[in-house]
Amino acid sequence: MRDSTTPGTVGERAAIDPVIEAYKKDVDRTLLRENLRLTPDERLRKLTAFMRSLQGVRAATEPGRR
Amino acid sequence: MLRPNPVAADFAGLIQALAATGVEFIVVGGVAGAAHGLARATYDLDVVYSRTPANLDRVVAALAPLTPYLRGAPPGLPFRFDVETLHRGLNFTLTTTLGDLDLLGEITGGGGYSQLLSDSVDAVLFDVPCRLLGLERLIHVKRAAGRPKDLEVIAELEALKEERDREQGT
Repeated sequence: MRDSTTPGTVGERAAIDPVIEAYKKDVDRTLLRENLRLTPDERLRKLTAFMRSLQGVRAATEPGRR
Repeated sequence: MLRPNPVAADFAGLIQALAATGVEFIVVGGVAGAAHGLARATYDLDVVYSRTPANLDRVVAALAPLTPYLRGAPPGLPFRFDVETLHRGLNFTLTTTLGDLDLLGEITGGGGYSQLLSDSVDAVLFDVPCRLLGLERLIHVKRAAGRPKDLEVIAELEALKEERDREQGT
């Protein structure tokens, strides 16, 4: 049985690594570089603002509100 | 993928509530990823809390006013958020008046608070000094969790680490 501190087995890692590498090709690194210029506090405030705007968009497009 | 009725937690309110009573906790999960620079939506706050008796008192003092309830449990299920409940349990997925909070005694690939502490970093989040799980450890625990839905997140976290290391010249 795996305890809570044990990482995946070598076999599991070998299986998921190519998948992760494939996903990595599609990561928008410009967003990451932009975020790296901010402080952690600023990043979370940006996240909060984004989540609020996302909720606003969802609320505006709920069925019955169009 | 869009959730049916997503409402993001009040991350600032939850972190400030925990800090106000001096709870020993480490921010992990999606909010930790965002604090490191990940550009990804997240809806709940995940924290690993210290399981010392004194800290359990602080957790209850911080969260009881937010009427925590077990997420997904049917309404009316008896649930008392007190030290005894925390002592008997370990990981709690909660709803609160400030949104969803995962209160974790242990995480896969990381263990508990004392095991994670050396891999956490100081950060000021929403004007509150607190502990944030380090990026390398965050990647490690995501890998250890082994959930298919995390593969894309792991790729983004690893890309973030590469960009950070490149900027730092390491």
